[in-house]
Amino acid sequence: MSDVLFPELSKEEPGAVGVVATWFLRDGDRVRVDDVIAEVQVDKVAADVVATSAGTIRLVVEEGAEVRQGAVIATIG
Amino acid sequence: MTLTNQELPAGPETRRISTSKAMVEALAQVMESDERVFYMGEDVGAYGGIFSSTTGLLDRFGPDRIIDTPISETAFIGLGIGAAVEGLRPVVELMFADFMGVCLDQIYNHMAKIHFESGGNVKVPMVLTMAAGGGYSDGAQHSQCLWGTFAHLPGMKVVVPSSPADAKGLMTAAIRDDNPVVYVFHKGVMGLPWMAKNERAIDEVPVGEHVVPIGVANVVRAGDDVSVVTISRSVHHALDVADRLAGEGIGVEVVDLRSLVPLDRQAVLSTVAKTGRLVVVDEDYLSFGMSGEVVASVTDVDPSLFSAPPVRVAVPDVPIPYAHALEQAVLPGSERIEAAVRRVLGLTG
Repeated sequence: MSDVLFPELSKEEPGAVGVVATWFLRDGDRVRVDDVIAEVQVDKVAADVVATSAGTIRLVVEEGAEVRQGAVIATIG
Repeated sequence: MTLTNQELPAGPETRRISTSKAMVEALAQVMESDERVFYMGEDVGAYGGIFSSTTGLLDRFGPDRIIDTPISETAFIGLGIGAAVEGLRPVVELMFADFMGVCLDQIYNHMAKIHFESGGNVKVPMVLTMAAGGGYSDGAQHSQCLWGTFAHLPGMKVVVPSSPADAKGLMTAAIRDDNPVVYVFHKGVMGLPWMAKNERAIDEVPVGEHVVPIGVANVVRAGDDVSVVTISRSVHHALDVADRLAGEGIGVEVVDLRSLVPLDRQAVLSTVAKTGRLVVVDEDYLSFGMSGEVVASVTDVDPSLFSAPPVRVAVPDVPIPYAHALEQAVLPGSERIEAAVRRVLGLTG
């Protein structure tokens, strides 16, 4: 089981809050290494979250949810 | 060469991505295999395209192949035409379809006519991409579709994908086509995080090479009672209506034309022969455009296929308003489509 974290998009402000703008996968989907899992945003900076392990994904937060950088947004197991 | 996945004999390996990512993936895959292909336009480099049409490509292919241009559409579209004539395969982005007004001479008198005027001796294998469509209060000069205007002028193909897979497949086909191809992407189908959420903008897309032939419509939903023939963002609205009306036992067939030039008139005839009832939905202007052309595709051949007069749902012949309520009133949204379907079925007055 591995955690998928909200990436550190703002280096100046480690506690910055961002948004999980888009889930590309549904809860319970199979995921492969390098699949794009989500698009996240902090202020106007957007980034893709890419899978670093394979397995079944469990989404921990809703699409559109505000999340602090570094927080767990999904798990892969 | 394409490798087949032995574990998935049912079809190619796919995964869920947005339309914008699918478009970028097609560009990247074609650019990997063909050094003649490059992409040029305003803010297509570091910015990645204002509607994410080129995100990440500058890092991957560098500034010689992902080229930011000055705000000078006539000059850089002309540059693309010259490069195409000389054997490269440029993809040139006009930031908004609305901006055709400042550069139309290059498009319709040069890009579209060089092949004809040279007696077929000179080819212009160029793709002209552009963002289109409204629904987000960007005003009358940034919200138009205008694909009917390009389609009206001879000499260029016009493709308008509605889904992520088609965005990828039509881009690959457009770049490989020896004719100039206008590739119109609606901002509302791109799956952009800062636009209104559209569930249909993210879907399964083949991982490897994917080609959708230009000029072949797609029956995206089968139904027996009424045909909705449409394109681009309106396909999504039509599918929403079809979902709703299925609950009332009404079978709506949704046909995505996918390209205006060539127009798959046989697909229009086939669906009308099946249902006898036609609703044409177009986010472009009503008069002198796609909706009339689709109806004529039937009446030219066999008007008796219609068991009820066809209904057109399009933007009335007015500029697109900025005010949200007024804009929603002129756009062919799902409420207007549903009312048209009921009308053609004789379910309302």
